[in-house]
Amino acid sequence: MTPQLSWYLALSAVLFTIGVVGVMVKRNVISMFMCIELMLNAVNLTFVAFSSFFRDVSGQLFVFIVMTVAAAEASVGLGIIIAIFRNRESLDVDDASVLKL
Amino acid sequence: MVAILFILFAGLAIGCAISMVAQRNPLYSAISLIGVFIGLACLYVMLAAPFIAAVQVIVYAGAIMVLVVFVIMLLNVEEEERRPLRLRALMPIAVVLAAILFAEAAFIIFFVHASPGTPTTNVSDIGLTSSIGAGLFTSYLLPFEITSLLLLMAIVGAITLARRGGLLPQDAGVVPGDQVFPQELLDRRQVGDLSPVATHSSEEAERLLGVKRTSPNKSG
Repeated sequence: MTPQLSWYLALSAVLFTIGVVGVMVKRNVISMFMCIELMLNAVNLTFVAFSSFFRDVSGQLFVFIVMTVAAAEASVGLGIIIAIFRNRESLDVDDASVLKL
Repeated sequence: MVAILFILFAGLAIGCAISMVAQRNPLYSAISLIGVFIGLACLYVMLAAPFIAAVQVIVYAGAIMVLVVFVIMLLNVEEEERRPLRLRALMPIAVVLAAILFAEAAFIIFFVHASPGTPTTNVSDIGLTSSIGAGLFTSYLLPFEITSLLLLMAIVGAITLARRGGLLPQDAGVVPGDQVFPQELLDRRQVGDLSPVATHSSEEAERLLGVKRTSPNKSG
């Protein structure tokens, strides 16, 4: 028995849901950031699965671009986290409820 | 056989993901997330996408997670303390909504059969580096260029955000003599604290403010 497309889609849905739950449950900014990375990876799995089962290379190109966006997001996001920590001495999202520094 | 491998790697990914959410120490969360990335890379290999699998390990598990771990070490993050749940009243509604979502997913899985065949058993060339490069530089050239622009913007943004800049510009100078300036200038965290800090020589003011004098010839 070989894995069907639906298996991969189900796995992707499960990972995405875990990521959403993490973003809602966690209060640490870095943990929320990692949950967002998990959601991006779940979407990547969907792309690669469709690309492989429909024999179309476009899906993998999109994965490549999503990874680039994730890398850019990581650099800017971690810069924001460092700025928040420097100004508030805390990584709790409840402490950073105002945009003003 | 392939199904056993799928279950193994999918179990690794899901287990590490649940562990990531359950951990209270962000460093353990980061290590669990690396486990998820490794499991997904193995699944990409099973899906005949070796290039994406390699990039997954190099970029995600290598670059991005090293950056995250570096920031965790730099900021010396402590564990989250347990706090009472907010919005406890919304819990039944959440359970009902989750049940509806699960029912929809189950309906699609059990009653919709439109999935194509399984081409992963025979060799295909769509996942190879050459075909990805060809696609990237022909039909997807514009997204590729936009991606490079995005990376440039991310570099500039990250440097701007992480720069430790005071309220004074870099070329600000001090004049010789007694100086009185608000506390706010020395430390951005004390915004609103306008109590004066007195200095009695230009050298002292220079040292506190971290700027150079306007006229280096004069001895203060």
